[in-house]
Amino acid sequence: MSSSLKELFSEELKSANDVESINILRVKYLGRKGLITESLKSLASLSLNERPKAGKALNELKVFIEETLRDKELLFSQKVLESRLSRESLDITVCGKYIASGKTHPINQVLSEIIDIFEVMGFEVEEGPEVETDYYNFEALNIPKDHPARDMQDTFYISDDIVLRTQTSPVQIRTMEKNRPPLRFISPGKVYRCDSDVSHTPMFHQVEGLMVDTNINFGHLKGVIETFLKEFFGQKVGIRFRPSFFPFTEPSVEVDISCIICESKGCRICKETGWLEVLGAGMVHPKVFENVSYDSTIYTGFAFGMGVERLTMLKYSINDIRLFFENDLRFLRQF
Amino acid sequence: MKISVNWLKDYANFNTPIDDLVQRLTMCGLEVEAVENVNDDTIIDINVTPNRQDCLSHLGIAREISVLYDCQFKYPEHDFIAENTELDFNVDIINTQLCHRYAGRIVKGVKIAPSPKWMQERLMNCGIRAINNVVDITNYVLLEFGHPLHAFDLNKLKGKKILVATAGEVTKTLEPLKIRLLDNSERILQDQMLLINDADSPIALAGIMGGSTSEVTEETRDIFIESAWFLPQSIRNTSRILGIKTESSYRFERGADIKILKKALDRAAYLMKELCGCTIHGKIDIYPKRFKQQKIKLSFDKINRYIGMEIPKKEVLRILSALTFEIECSEDELTVKVPSSRCDVTRDVDVIEEVLRIYGYDKVPSLLPVAPIKIHSQDSEAKKVTYKIIKKCRELLLNEGFNEAINYSFLGPQDFDLFNINNEDIQRNTINILNPLNSEDSMMRTMLIPSLIRNLVYNISRGNKDIRIFEIARTFLKTEDKQLPIEERHISILLCQDKEKYLYKDNVEDFYILKGVIEKLLKNIGIDEIHFERSKEFFLHQGRSADLFIKTHENNKFMKIGYFGVLSPQVIQKLSVKILKQEVLAAELLLDKIINNLMFKKITFLPIAQFPFIERDSAVVVDDTLELSKIVNLLNSCKDSISNLIEEVAIFDIYKGKGIEDGKKSVAFNIRYRSTDKTLSDEEVDTIHKKVLSEVLPKIEGKIRS
Ligand SMILES: [Zn+2]
Repeated sequence: MSSSLKELFSEELKSANDVESINILRVKYLGRKGLITESLKSLASLSLNERPKAGKALNELKVFIEETLRDKELLFSQKVLESRLSRESLDITVCGKYIASGKTHPINQVLSEIIDIFEVMGFEVEEGPEVETDYYNFEALNIPKDHPARDMQDTFYISDDIVLRTQTSPVQIRTMEKNRPPLRFISPGKVYRCDSDVSHTPMFHQVEGLMVDTNINFGHLKGVIETFLKEFFGQKVGIRFRPSFFPFTEPSVEVDISCIICESKGCRICKETGWLEVLGAGMVHPKVFENVSYDSTIYTGFAFGMGVERLTMLKYSINDIRLFFENDLRFLRQF
Repeated sequence: MKISVNWLKDYANFNTPIDDLVQRLTMCGLEVEAVENVNDDTIIDINVTPNRQDCLSHLGIAREISVLYDCQFKYPEHDFIAENTELDFNVDIINTQLCHRYAGRIVKGVKIAPSPKWMQERLMNCGIRAINNVVDITNYVLLEFGHPLHAFDLNKLKGKKILVATAGEVTKTLEPLKIRLLDNSERILQDQMLLINDADSPIALAGIMGGSTSEVTEETRDIFIESAWFLPQSIRNTSRILGIKTESSYRFERGADIKILKKALDRAAYLMKELCGCTIHGKIDIYPKRFKQQKIKLSFDKINRYIGMEIPKKEVLRILSALTFEIECSEDELTVKVPSSRCDVTRDVDVIEEVLRIYGYDKVPSLLPVAPIKIHSQDSEAKKVTYKIIKKCRELLLNEGFNEAINYSFLGPQDFDLFNINNEDIQRNTINILNPLNSEDSMMRTMLIPSLIRNLVYNISRGNKDIRIFEIARTFLKTEDKQLPIEERHISILLCQDKEKYLYKDNVEDFYILKGVIEKLLKNIGIDEIHFERSKEFFLHQGRSADLFIKTHENNKFMKIGYFGVLSPQVIQKLSVKILKQEVLAAELLLDKIINNLMFKKITFLPIAQFPFIERDSAVVVDDTLELSKIVNLLNSCKDSISNLIEEVAIFDIYKGKGIEDGKKSVAFNIRYRSTDKTLSDEEVDTIHKKVLSEVLPKIEGKIRS
């Protein structure tokens, strides 16, 4: 009996090809009035001898049908899910919806890099006006009106006594006037010179620094500047200090690094010398201390200054300083 | 300054490879900028710093070399026997303040001819054109000694005399004095300008350029050679006022060597005798202001402490005496007498520099200073807050896709005209540059938008699209009561995007995009309450722009802190590029004012609501012109007037078109109700919601949308 039932089920299962027909089969065989149930009831008509064997066979068939239907059902529902997922599939190569982030101006990127290095060395940041008096920009820095050193900088004048600062050094004077030593700070900012060509713009950025205390010496100047340059350009960079002249420092120093473009072999950028001028510095001139009423027999200090555009141009091999201020998006987006 | 190496070898006994010479000179402060081989000579170009007048000559450089290489130094031949004739020529210095010494020689019977080839070559190699033997000799001595000489045609001088005096001291009329110079220009002289005069008129602009009336020409036979010392400031002033720069003025304004001038004079006379076949007569040397030698005291200890290492005493003494400083020295101290060639050395630190630059900067060990830990002042705390806020603003704008621009701090009158900014507007209170590079950049910025508009035009004309830029920079506002302008930071933002070319299109008005950025930016830095009003700026589209207000610190009143919006079509029309489809939006925020009025709140935790909420949505039809803020404010005010169970109010749809009559709009909003101490029932909420509607609807003349 059970074997003919099994054959019938196998035959009917073949034509079942979705979840619904599986359910119909389930009712037909396993339902309350289904074929298996009916067959189990009819066991009563068998002899006591035959009954256990036939009962067992029927129960086995029942389990078989249950499992087969469950497996089939799972299979069909998976197919349904699969077809839904494939219908809902998207082109994953189309780019997502977002606004591309903008870029910080390369000058400000380098500026904050410089500031970070000095902050680690304990330097604070000081600011001052960009429109300055002649006194703070020149006189207090030991550059009198009729001194040839004034030729070193082409100045924008607002009036006889007011200028656009040509350097951030006036911040040094203002900060010294307000505070007593020890002092350790940098003054980043915009400066102005009346000049415009491939290597000059009427406005550019400088970072100057000052350290004042008792017993600051020339070796300290070298140590701090070397530390900065190695942090900025890499530990392997060659550094040389050579004598120069600034009215507000004595001795004065020009600092060169080994050419990072040609690795000191000589190129157009370093004028075939293998060296690049990157920084000016010096021991603070006693006259400058006297101008802010510091006792120059007690206090010594060093000052330094660098052009941010120059460092940025070296860092990214930019050949025209004017690019910084044209603000062409194709330029700005590169950094 | 161009220097011939062969020429140097006439005075300093050195024989080193050029590379080494270049290196040593550069490392002692005489930076060699270029090296050029010419025939069998090498020409080096030295960048002489303004303090080193003494090195504007071959002898000066040779002196440095003799110190660097510890080799012999000698002066060129300048001894001769002068004729023993009585002179009927005299010199008088009227202004001894401006002329401390005036010396001269008379040479007679010169034959004007080209100078010898070796001299011409040396001059040419150093960048000076050969003219004739007499002029060439004065130039040769200039390059040799660094002291400027001048040769006058003796027979063209009137009255057999020379007066050194200012224009004011010799002029006899009210008419300003004039002089025609060797370059054939006529110059009007000012009273304070120092002149060389004969009995009749000025014959030279002292120390700057000779006059044409006494010029040495083919016919010249007798010559008066001048070698003098003029006050640097006076030469510099005259040179600057008249705009004349010469080899001579360049040296005098840096301070000539008052002692060497006699040697230079004799050297020139000697060369003329040798090369022009003339005789030398007389000797004039008026020297009313004697050179006062500087004495500088310092200790060896100071030298070592200043440098940070010990330099052997012997080495200090060797360097200084080789540099021609005279020294008196005890165990610990030394007194240095400064030679007349080195007037730049006036203090102990100058002497230290002299020692160190020869000893070698590279020999000083690098040290790191030991510094005390600093307690930050309140001032520096405030600064830190400011930097933090600027950083926040920058980061937010970057995230919103804006690129940072940096522009020159300039604008010009054309910008104000473009922007229709009238004369009464505070933004017209500019400070102006006396010597701008061009009139478009002749004022300091009072606002940043014009610069960003320039960037927009630049970018669009180069085919760049989707312009999103911002700038954070100072503005400069003139005030009547202060010497310096008020400098305040602004943030300016510019947006001009091509929406059609964007893959994911949406129809949000650009105005709301920019407004969103600004609101987010202000909220981000801690400003909760922003008030918007229709903008009064003339260059903005009046229907699509707003002025911004926040509460001030002091009186809690609203203060304007910026504006933003769509640029008026009138402005766009005037731009040099055509912008047809897109809108251009700009914002100007007064960043420093905003920072100054930030109120820092202490954040206190509020417990998270425990009971569930119930929401109700409603749609009302109102007049199209009704401002949404009115609805929102009214709904919010119901929190106080009707029920504190109202937790949150939000507008979620605005609809115009089909189903809504013309001139009206449908506004849908959602109210969330919640109690802090129980679970609300639907009935309760329905009652409150009805009350809210009947409170608000009449005030906005709205109807519930069916
Ligand atoms: Zn190179």
